Amino acid sequence: MKVLIVEDEKELVENIRAYFSRGNIVCEAARDFAEAQDKLLSFDYDVVLLDIMLPDGNGLNLLRLLKQIRPETGVLIISAKNALDDKVEGLELGADDYLTKPFHLPELNARLNAIYRRRKFKGHTVLEFGDIRVNTDTLDVFVQDTPISLTVKEYELLLFFITNKNRALTKQIIAEHLWGDDADFMDSFDFVYQHIKNLRKKITAAGGADYIKTIYGLGYKFSED
Amino acid sequence: MNLITKTTLFYLLVALLVFGIGGVVAYMLVENEVRKETDFALYDNLSQLTKDVADSIPLDILRRGKVDIAELGPATRDTFFVFSDTLAPHPHLQGVMEPYRKLTAVRQVGDQYYRFSITDVIIETDDIYEVVVEIMLRLFLILGVAMLFFSFLVTRLLFRPFQKTLEQIRAFRLKESGALQLPETTTREFRQLNTFLTQMAAKARRDYLAVKEFSENASHEIQTPLAVAQGKLELLLESPGLSGEQLGQVQAIQQSLSKLSRLGKALQLLAKIDNQEFAVQAPIDFSRITEASLSNFAELAALKNLRLSSRIEPNVRLSVDPVLADMLISNLLKNAIRHNEEGGWIEVELNREHFRVRNPGKTPQAPVEQLFERFKKSHASDGSLGLGLAIVKKIADVSQFTVDYEFAEGIHQLTVRFS
Repeated sequence: MKVLIVEDEKELVENIRAYFSRGNIVCEAARDFAEAQDKLLSFDYDVVLLDIMLPDGNGLNLLRLLKQIRPETGVLIISAKNALDDKVEGLELGADDYLTKPFHLPELNARLNAIYRRRKFKGHTVLEFGDIRVNTDTLDVFVQDTPISLTVKEYELLLFFITNKNRALTKQIIAEHLWGDDADFMDSFDFVYQHIKNLRKKITAAGGADYIKTIYGLGYKFSED
Repeated sequence: MNLITKTTLFYLLVALLVFGIGGVVAYMLVENEVRKETDFALYDNLSQLTKDVADSIPLDILRRGKVDIAELGPATRDTFFVFSDTLAPHPHLQGVMEPYRKLTAVRQVGDQYYRFSITDVIIETDDIYEVVVEIMLRLFLILGVAMLFFSFLVTRLLFRPFQKTLEQIRAFRLKESGALQLPETTTREFRQLNTFLTQMAAKARRDYLAVKEFSENASHEIQTPLAVAQGKLELLLESPGLSGEQLGQVQAIQQSLSKLSRLGKALQLLAKIDNQEFAVQAPIDFSRITEASLSNFAELAALKNLRLSSRIEPNVRLSVDPVLADMLISNLLKNAIRHNEEGGWIEVELNREHFRVRNPGKTPQAPVEQLFERFKKSHASDGSLGLGLAIVKKIADVSQFTVDYEFAEGIHQLTVRFS
């Protein structure tokens, strides 16, 4: 997957680059409006990460340009403004998703992959991990060809794990992925634990291996070994 | 009562006063004039009689009903004349006395002295009074009708630009960019008013945008470094060989950053509400928003083993911003889940009068009246920001709702009343 990061904060770009370097994502970065415009006109990207507050222009204008020349490119807006107007306008202009700063890198990864799947395969994707198969089109989940039934949150959790496989995920990150702004509960970690417990039970009951590894004092990691 | 009606009534009141005083003055003037004219006629009559006597017309002929002449003889005496008021019987009506003006004079004609006494009917003061009152009443009536017509005309013509200005101000919205279109007028006061209003509107809009931009920029400047720090921590988690203790510390930093970020967002939200960036709009279906929010929180309540029951009256429509409405409900539900007890319950009630959330829980440690203040928490140790109820209060304030909190027999009850 080829991604263009349009963001003026150097360190943030470095974070994203470093995080994605372990996956199959190729990142390029543009630091300002002019550079981003050049790159968008010259190259083809699968997804553009777009900060709409740029030092020399409004990122929404880049979005307009992109939708004119390459409407098939996915766009994920990252903004610190949390302004509803911008969000609505961005989505109306054809952005696929909107993420407010600060975001977790696994969350960014999950959203990016979701856009990529939708754009590239029109949603007809089957994600595989070990003996688990997830059809993101029909939302069906199979363990060794046995269908298992998951609740919405369990499904979201499994998808989040698969897109962030082999990465350490804290309970905080998982809680915010599942409940967004409502995750600010003292006991949201207990809630995460309960969902994990149920998901684990359902997978192993269908004969699957226990992929959810507990990292003591931190959280979880989804891996085969 | 509008300005013109008030002015008209005021003018009429003043007119009433003026006509009252005018009536008294008119009465006095008329009475004085009548007396003078009567006296003049009597004196004229006296001169004529004196001449007649000098022309040797016999006194018997000159003596009539109102004239009496007496011969006083040649002995020298003072000549004089004096007017006086007297009463005499009415010539036709029996037993009715009438006021008369009487001229008594002593005159020398030749070498004889005569005493003349002439009386004449004077116009009664009652009659003068009646006439004056009649005139005043009619004038007042004409004036009243004229004033009504005048006020109608003024409202229709003169005040048209003012009413247009009022309409424009009523339609003015800070959030929209359209300029204030005030009507052209030749009236100086209205022109001044319009200039002033145009300036005020422009200033209000500038201030609004400045505050909006500031809070957005501040948010950007705070959240971006937080995003950088959070990313660094996540990368750190990926690095091999961290001990359990180190991982725990990283997670603690992560939680603090997350709290800081939420704090920034909550304060920005309060600033936005203060800046009236959420305008009250057309009525929305509050029942639907409540139902949606309830289904969102049903899972969280279930995870905490809480029984969630609700009585939602359908189709409760309220004029409130939908984003704020959702925030109000979810803040209260979040609160009810957080400050609950093991195996407890939550009761949500919505009807046309109020939205109410009830749940059992510990006695709040802070005084009840402080709960809606920023950063006041009922239990110091919990992980919340202490802004939830402050936001609820603020949303209620801008939406013209009232919130009250009661705690009795181990049950928290929060009520948002729609007035």
